Amino acid sequence: MDATLLRSLTDLVGAAHCWGGADRGPFAVDGRTPSAVVFPGSAEETAHVVRLAGEAGVPVIPWGGGTAMGVGGPPPDGALVLGTRRLSRVLEHEPGDLTATVEAGITLDALQAALGRRGQWWPLDPPEPARATVGGILATNAAGPRRHAYGTARDLVLGIRVAGADGRLVRAGGKVVKNVAGYDLVKLYIGAFGTLGVIVEVTLKLRPRPEADLVVAATFGDLDRAAAAATRLLGSSLLPHAVELLNGGATVTAGLGPAGAGLLAGFDGLATAVTWQAAEATRLLEGTAAQDVRRLDGAAAARALALVAELGVTPRVPVAVAEAGVLPVEVGVYLGAAEAAARTAGLTLRASARAGEGMVTLVLEAPADRRAGGATAVHALAALRQRAQASGGHLTLVRAPLAVKEALGAWGPVGPALGLMHAVKSRLDPRGILNPGRFVGGL
Amino acid sequence: MPPRPAADHRRLRLAYEKIVGADAVQSAPDELLVYESDGLTLFRATADVVVFPCSTDEVSACVRLANAEGLPFVARGAGTGLAGGCLPSEGGVVIALTRMNRILEIDTANQLAVVEPGLVNLHLSQALQPQGYCYAPDPSSQLACTIGGNVANNSGGPHTLKYGVTTNHVLGLEVVLPDGEVVWLGGKVRDGQGYDLVGVFVGSEGTFGIATKVVVRIVRRPEAVRTLLAVFDVLDHASRTVAAITARGLTPAALEMIDQLTIQAVEDAYGAGYPRDAAAALLIELDGLAMGLDEEAERVEAACRENGAREVRRARDERERQLLWKGRKAAFGAYGRISPAYMVMDGVIPRTRLPEILRAVEGIAQTHGLRVGNVFHAGDGNLHPNILYDPRRPGEVDRVLQAGAAIMRACVDVGGSISGEHGIGLEKRDFMSWIFSPADLDAMAAVKAAFNPGGRCNPGKVFPTAKSCVPGELGEALHPLEASGLIQRL
Repeated sequence: MDATLLRSLTDLVGAAHCWGGADRGPFAVDGRTPSAVVFPGSAEETAHVVRLAGEAGVPVIPWGGGTAMGVGGPPPDGALVLGTRRLSRVLEHEPGDLTATVEAGITLDALQAALGRRGQWWPLDPPEPARATVGGILATNAAGPRRHAYGTARDLVLGIRVAGADGRLVRAGGKVVKNVAGYDLVKLYIGAFGTLGVIVEVTLKLRPRPEADLVVAATFGDLDRAAAAATRLLGSSLLPHAVELLNGGATVTAGLGPAGAGLLAGFDGLATAVTWQAAEATRLLEGTAAQDVRRLDGAAAARALALVAELGVTPRVPVAVAEAGVLPVEVGVYLGAAEAAARTAGLTLRASARAGEGMVTLVLEAPADRRAGGATAVHALAALRQRAQASGGHLTLVRAPLAVKEALGAWGPVGPALGLMHAVKSRLDPRGILNPGRFVGGL
Repeated sequence: MPPRPAADHRRLRLAYEKIVGADAVQSAPDELLVYESDGLTLFRATADVVVFPCSTDEVSACVRLANAEGLPFVARGAGTGLAGGCLPSEGGVVIALTRMNRILEIDTANQLAVVEPGLVNLHLSQALQPQGYCYAPDPSSQLACTIGGNVANNSGGPHTLKYGVTTNHVLGLEVVLPDGEVVWLGGKVRDGQGYDLVGVFVGSEGTFGIATKVVVRIVRRPEAVRTLLAVFDVLDHASRTVAAITARGLTPAALEMIDQLTIQAVEDAYGAGYPRDAAAALLIELDGLAMGLDEEAERVEAACRENGAREVRRARDERERQLLWKGRKAAFGAYGRISPAYMVMDGVIPRTRLPEILRAVEGIAQTHGLRVGNVFHAGDGNLHPNILYDPRRPGEVDRVLQAGAAIMRACVDVGGSISGEHGIGLEKRDFMSWIFSPADLDAMAAVKAAFNPGGRCNPGKVFPTAKSCVPGELGEALHPLEASGLIQRL
């Protein structure tokens, strides 16, 4: 890094929070090491960092908990990693309004602990809550099984503050649960992977912690039977907060033991209603081809859902983790196609789907006794991406070796709206310094 | 803009007739009168021509022609907006979507429908009812307002407390951009890659283009419903109860407040069964699974009584329920019997500040010598103070606008916002700088410029005047608030 810039950054955040040496190692992505890593201590400092980097033409890579850095193209060489870990405070919590404003670097677990003291929570359950930050969750639009009832970040965020590419702090939205003043830029910053602004502060829409929370779990001989049961459950009058369809590989991960396929249905709310729904769901599933239906309470329920949400979080890098979006009714068939593709490629598949939403997580791994090349995985994933696209959907590589990402492309083609996206990007970040080269379509 | 010469006007009319047909163009003075304002009748402007396309291609061609002629244009649904959002530009083009009102697809298995923008909101829910589904955002004007207008304003309604507003129910949009290009944003599959252009288009008040198809999320109708009317002798008790209900972890589907002035107007007009002597009433609806709903209703009732409710009634059947809701939804109309005119305000505050803001509103009304009726979505802090006035009385309109501005200021001062659901439109563009900094407005202007670089698509809306894309595009007289010195251009 240019010595002048390094000195300016050190002066700004302090030497303890500006790393230019071997300590940059953990912040390498796809083999590219940043030129420096800085940890600003406030929103203003964050904006100042962005301004300094922009003036020097150095790209900025925002870094929350680092749990999703594998998504997207590799970062440019010599970029500046901007870590948000020091922005970790709860600034406001108004229980009577069901709102809270937090700094973006707070982890999800820390947030929930603070809110839990007043019997409330932010009802989003993405993977790795101990590491993932609110800012990162928003930037990647991360979600989990509970999106079925509670929606995703775009449904649960009231206001946002970002450090724009020009180094100015920008607010969008507000602190109230209904607000149509001005354009809804909150929606734009969410899921933008930091390419339009570095998120520094968020106002969240909260819910009271449910009185009761449990899971009804079932195993099946095969995916077709499990998918049929999911369809019946979704068509019933019951109101689950999660409906997860699991392939055989995933039932083991979820703690259900080996099976052809599995289904998890989560219920929360008033204790009497939850108990009743659990009984009804059990009865409904017993009326299908389910082999084994059991009820999981408390910690066991939470663990099963968390294990499923973290299907792609593995100690060693798998062959590939991908997330696909298809129509809800297509989920069962899509999982079947994914299993067939994995088999052909000589790989194992663990997969789960939010059956009511059409979101699918695919984890491709090499069988224990073999090393599989990435080439077969690329072929399988390309076919699955095409399949998703045929019904207007998409497939994104979440975690994969660089060679696989480069061969397949981390993202698929976006379509005609890409021109408009570029127009937005070029006006908000004319110099292209915010997370360049990583997001969709060269944005 | 100077009036168009007659020959030019005829030429423009003929050019539009070529696109949409001779029976789908209106340009005679008496025809244009209807379109010179929306529900905010204080502001009027005369367009040059109003056209009624019936397909996406026609909409695109209408936009292209406006561009070729250098004319500003605005889309219009039912014209029920209350902020001047579809007020035309003088001498511009109004593109009315009312002929494009079909339901193209209903897909209950995937919980979505595809509709045209001119479809009346209530008609969509009615069409879904036989299959047990509905479209959740239910503005009080749903008998008339259109889905396209709902998209433009990110419309709300009483049941958005539980179900969310329009933006939480739009998955995709086919849009005619301001240059006439047709593009799909989003689609039937969730979480498309790239920027959420659907999310930023919803609520852009017609300044980003014209939606010609809307993919909406539909939800299953609730299994059961309980509707309560809590009656209070003291306004403060009613407003305290709102936060108390939330504090108990209860999430009603709707939580509306009606004050005494409104109750009396409603009872005179409809006899909905509201008690005339109450200081205020809360209309509370719970819905969902039948199992547990009575328990929830009991908890809500307890919260009301503990905060001073003198009575809590339950609707015993659907007929009683409909009557209670009629009283609420038709309240604005009831004002028409007791006042020659009224101005509907729209502000939003944190619900814990409700008691204080209602007192402030009453104080402001008294200071300005005006009556105010409150009927609004108390559950999410979305206020609708309705200022009753007589436009024939000299100076009354000015006082109404001043009182309105003071109410908006009070909302902002307690951490709220200047619009909960009606939008900024023309009415509130100069209040934007009360809640947004220059950097905030610049970011919005940048996004608008990406969609609307020419600045001809519904100019003069949303942004404070000095921030509009095209300088001098409206050329209208000073806004009354400006003239009275209450606000200034940036």
